[in-house]
Amino acid sequence: MSFLHLWAQNLPAFWQGVEMTLELTALALLLAVAFGFVLALMRLSRLRLLSLVATIYIEVVRAIPVLVLLFVAYYSLGQIGIQMSGFTAAVITLGVYYATLYGEIFRGGIEGVQYGQREAAEALGMGSQAIMRRIVLPQAFLAILPPATNELADLIKDTSLVVTIGVADLMFQAYQASAANFHPMDMFLLAGIMYFVFYLVLSQFLTRWETNVQRRRG
Amino acid sequence: MHLAWLYAGVILQGAVVTLELTVVSTVLSFILGIFGALGRIYGPPWLRTAILAYVELIRGLPPILQLFIIFFGLTQFGIDLPPFTAAMIWLVIYGTGYAIEVFRAGIQAVADGQREAATAVGMGFLSTLRKVVMPQAFVLMLPPLTNFVIIQLKNTTLVYFIGVADIMYQAQLGADATEQPGTLYALAAVAYLIMNGTLSRIAAHLERKAAAYR
Repeated sequence: MSFLHLWAQNLPAFWQGVEMTLELTALALLLAVAFGFVLALMRLSRLRLLSLVATIYIEVVRAIPVLVLLFVAYYSLGQIGIQMSGFTAAVITLGVYYATLYGEIFRGGIEGVQYGQREAAEALGMGSQAIMRRIVLPQAFLAILPPATNELADLIKDTSLVVTIGVADLMFQAYQASAANFHPMDMFLLAGIMYFVFYLVLSQFLTRWETNVQRRRG
Repeated sequence: MHLAWLYAGVILQGAVVTLELTVVSTVLSFILGIFGALGRIYGPPWLRTAILAYVELIRGLPPILQLFIIFFGLTQFGIDLPPFTAAMIWLVIYGTGYAIEVFRAGIQAVADGQREAATAVGMGFLSTLRKVVMPQAFVLMLPPLTNFVIIQLKNTTLVYFIGVADIMYQAQLGADATEQPGTLYALAAVAYLIMNGTLSRIAAHLERKAAAYR
């Protein structure tokens, strides 16, 4: 049972890693949702130029692996004088990448609201902003929720990529500990259990919450 | 710009490794994925549970953690895999988890009536599967399957960390040697952009052709 002893020994460091992982996830999610919403509105815009720019942005960013984007943000931007900490680079990279995914989810949700709803609101004399805020978005929310939580599960996993640029997240702590005590399997298993708990919470707990919301909203 | 030309050849060498990893692991994952999906749907309860647990485990853990378990973790038990082998094993293990879900969804999306009709005209389980279910499921599965190839291609970027000489690895070597990371990583990004763009084109073409069989 020597691994239990090792786990107990490394638990404080791993816990710090968990905090870093959650911090990265929360900030990246915030950025992705905000920017994704802008992208969705741009793609739905009647101005052809705006929707074209958003479409090209989404297609290009989605085709590049996250790790490459991370390296471009961390190393390449440094070369042209934009020096960022690993943490900032990671938040921006993940936010910018996941914004394309959230943007498409939001667009799908907004487009999925029946057109008659919009027409009815217009007939009642509501302005376009009020229609978006009070008629379309509340209904789109239901369709957006399940795919959005799916992406969140992927986002948490992708934060582990920051180990490559030395941000001290959970993955990094596991990597460092394994290099120090030569018990890599024990260390990665402990990290694995922690990551899996996040996944279970998201896939089980949030799914239940979603069904609740859907039932309440009918 | 001069630098980009200088390193284009090396990046191309990396692209060959990336492509090799992607293609071989995709083919193996598809084969294992079909069997996994069949076991998940038609197998005995214990097998279904085991496959479900496997899929959840693969989907719940970060890809890089799985790679580290195979490459670094196994050394604790004296199993010292060469980087390329470890990378390939990881890509197949990871890809199979996702492929099972794609095939399962595809097979289950074919209407039950089709299966019943085939049974009614006296077709056995295997020929029903091969001649009735699979051809229809395949058309449905084309978009997720091509998506799978793109995800697998993106996943190969992680293997640079254990020393497999893919695009990412070559770009990093170049970046360290020239102290011009901007150019090198931009070059890597373009390489991935071209490969993924080509894949999406092929996928769109296949889907157009497959639509005729619907």
